[in-house]
Amino acid sequence: MYWQMFFTFMKIGLFSFGGGYAILAMIQQEVVIKNLWLTQSQFVDVVAISQMTPGPIAINAATFIGYQKGGIPGALLCTFGVIFPSLIIMLIVTISYLKLKGKAWFKNLFSKLRLLSVGLIAAALIMVFRDAMQDMFTILVFLLCLIVTWKYKTNPFYMLIGAALIGILLG
Amino acid sequence: MLLAKIFFTFLKIGAFTIGGAYAMIPLIKREVCQKNNWVSEEEFLDGLAAAQSCPGPIAVNISIYIGYHISKGKGMLIAVLGTILPSTLIIMLIAALFNKYAEASLVQKAFHALRPAVVALIAIPLYQMSQKAGINLRNFWFPLSTAILVGVLTISPVYLILLTAVFSILQSSRKV
Repeated sequence: MYWQMFFTFMKIGLFSFGGGYAILAMIQQEVVIKNLWLTQSQFVDVVAISQMTPGPIAINAATFIGYQKGGIPGALLCTFGVIFPSLIIMLIVTISYLKLKGKAWFKNLFSKLRLLSVGLIAAALIMVFRDAMQDMFTILVFLLCLIVTWKYKTNPFYMLIGAALIGILLG
Repeated sequence: MLLAKIFFTFLKIGAFTIGGAYAMIPLIKREVCQKNNWVSEEEFLDGLAAAQSCPGPIAVNISIYIGYHISKGKGMLIAVLGTILPSTLIIMLIAALFNKYAEASLVQKAFHALRPAVVALIAIPLYQMSQKAGINLRNFWFPLSTAILVGVLTISPVYLILLTAVFSILQSSRKV
């Protein structure tokens, strides 16, 4: 069990490009679809919590799921798992970045992966959309958040606090 | 002592940046370029580009890059530890409380509205990123089919990433 958790989060760390939202599809695939550690709505809850607390989503998701499944050791193990590939790959790149920067294959690889990560964000969107839109109230909250964040470039933290308050007062 | 200073600087970065890596970047830059002069502005931008290209959380990647620049392997580990410690502790606390209060009606109500808010939160960077990634009519099929394969058919992103990597490396080796 611990071994599988560590291995799963290592895989998430290894295959998450583009940071933040592009990682969500990968976490969903492993945690919701493959291992059934969380339901789709619990997953969305974890994303909401992650964005209201400091730190990267991948780390927060790893700590949260690790704790739920295996207490403090589980939390630490999953967190370490998710950063382990970064430690190795980023170390290599840090040492050799100036050399790699000029190489055509390196540039081409990452411009393709950037395109892919746009698709992955869209995939995460499709998956959470179906689950979160349950009634008229949720659709209205969605539109309101979209418009407010779009127009005023609100920090996600304040937007989510606002949404939580709307839920408590009007939901 | 330098290591302690690295630790507390990254602890601050980890503790005060809410809302994802892109919110973190200005703070990291101020701390490491202006306040402490650990790396030059240009080195920072190179590091940022590398951090965004490599797998893993961007904030962790940039901590590795800067930590290594300041003080090699030790600096790297200390910087990463500082960055992730606040969020790990806070999330463990929340995870512990979550089980107890998840059924409470106020929490239920809050999450009922938070879920669509999260959807909006994902929708907005999608548009911004698609502009930055240089999407046009010719390559539009690629992110679109990725979204369908992963989002609707629930195919693992792993295969697509590996395929993309192999294909793009072959493509550039043929050109040379």
